[in-house]
Amino acid sequence: KNTVFYQLFIPHCSIHLSLYFLFTNDAEGRLHQSQVAVFLLTYLGPPFNEKDFSPPRPNSTALSLPSAATRLELWHGLENQARLAQNQKAYSVLLAAVRELARSTLCPALKTSLLHFCTGLDGLLGSISALMTTLGYALPPPSANMEMRPTMNDFAKKVEGFWILRELQSWLWRSAKDFNRLKKRLRG
Amino acid sequence: MANLVTSLCCVVLAAVVVAYAQRRSQLVARNQYERMGSDVTMQCGSLDNDASVSWKVNGTDVKAQHRLEGPRLVLNEVDLGHNGLYSCFQNPHGERRDTIYLHIGIPPRDPTVTCRSNTYPKGFYCSWHQLHPTYIPTTFEVDVQHNQRSLEVQKDPDHKNRCRVRFPEVFSSYPYKVNVTAVNALGKASTTISFEESSIVKPDPPERVTATPIRFNARRLEVSWQSPATWPDIDNFPLKYFLRYRPLIREQWQHVELSDSTSHTITDAYAGKEYIIQVAAKDTEIGTWSDWSVAVHATPWIEDPLPITSTTEVDFPTETKTSPIPSSNAPQKAEPPVGRAARLLTFFSPLLLGMLLLFM
Repeated sequence: KNTVFYQLFIPHCSIHLSLYFLFTNDAEGRLHQSQVAVFLLTYLGPPFNEKDFSPPRPNSTALSLPSAATRLELWHGLENQARLAQNQKAYSVLLAAVRELARSTLCPALKTSLLHFCTGLDGLLGSISALMTTLGYALPPPSANMEMRPTMNDFAKKVEGFWILRELQSWLWRSAKDFNRLKKRLRG
Repeated sequence: MANLVTSLCCVVLAAVVVAYAQRRSQLVARNQYERMGSDVTMQCGSLDNDASVSWKVNGTDVKAQHRLEGPRLVLNEVDLGHNGLYSCFQNPHGERRDTIYLHIGIPPRDPTVTCRSNTYPKGFYCSWHQLHPTYIPTTFEVDVQHNQRSLEVQKDPDHKNRCRVRFPEVFSSYPYKVNVTAVNALGKASTTISFEESSIVKPDPPERVTATPIRFNARRLEVSWQSPATWPDIDNFPLKYFLRYRPLIREQWQHVELSDSTSHTITDAYAGKEYIIQVAAKDTEIGTWSDWSVAVHATPWIEDPLPITSTTEVDFPTETKTSPIPSSNAPQKAEPPVGRAARLLTFFSPLLLGMLLLFM
């Protein structure tokens, strides 16, 4: 087993995560949003950028976008392969979703920001895939789940964009804990 | 024949019981809650409108401004002074007909609600309080919603006005909605707050902070602590720490942030100065910093002072001429125990003033 590789990749993933973490707290506990989050929420405009705003989640996103949320016991008990596979699947879908957001936006500053973000996500996805390969886990085939999306009006698109951002935030936060658990399990 | 007697006895017994109960119900006080500042009407039992009654409060005459309207007592603009046990007696024979315990209060205002998770990822708690007293018993109903589901809420056995909820899942994108309704006999008021799982996480402060000097190191202090006992899963949900320290004589703190370590060596302490040290904790990704831990005091290691021998460096005349200064401040006794190095320095202070400044 090539132990060197996975010891390298796990901190690598953590670096990606800390760089692209969407929401961080400073020493006084104030919430700071990263550039991308600020851009996207400003672009979406009110009421999306208002505090405590939470629209109902559209069924389309709920079906295709894997949720980071999980029951605590289930999360604890995840085997290394399943844990990595869930992360790999999530970021594949999220990367495609953010790419689509970048493609469909007319605002140039937002497009640049989102594409830059996609580069980071791509790097993260690469690290996860490499880690899985090193550990001898099969990578899932690239899913062709770009099924025909229903035509949405502008507001519905914005709601979907909002939820993609939300879920991405949850995944980044969850992955940090996933990799911490992986580090401990692989060590011991 | 025996059956008839038994049933007759039962009927008589029943009648006695009913009559006694009726009489007792007039003696058992009922509660009446009324709003402060309003006019209050108290009704004497179920007497007719033309009945004549007299009233007493706590056994004495009603001194507050009032008027009588048949079987009713009307009090104007009530305040807390009107609280009491009111009894009415039917004239002319003075039989007690009713007893009313009057409580003056105010309806509840919107409670203030805050929620926090110091036991992440197990659960969170919500606390509430009323900014203004109501003076009458007020209860609180708590409802917690997440992703269109109601969560089970448990009263906290150790804290008043607090309840606990288990997280149904972790890493959730859906917000939690907590509604607290204050209810009393005069009305109700409610507050709803909404928050995300990550924003309410705030650990308890680190525990068992110790700071010890390090032998032969005049500028170091070894600080160590433990994660708070309430944090349930330190392995999978690690904490990062923030340490602050300053000498007692200074106002400005120095800060160090540490990940994944429960000890730190301060290497830039001022020699011989007492330090105050505190530590705070935070989840590595989410939430806010804990409150500061209990402050710990420590002084870096200083060299032991030399024992005082007969041939000291400082020589003073022993014979006492008529000296204006009393000898109570005899130098040999009053000499403070300082390190040998410091003593030598003060002795040669004119020459070594520059060096002293360098050290400080």
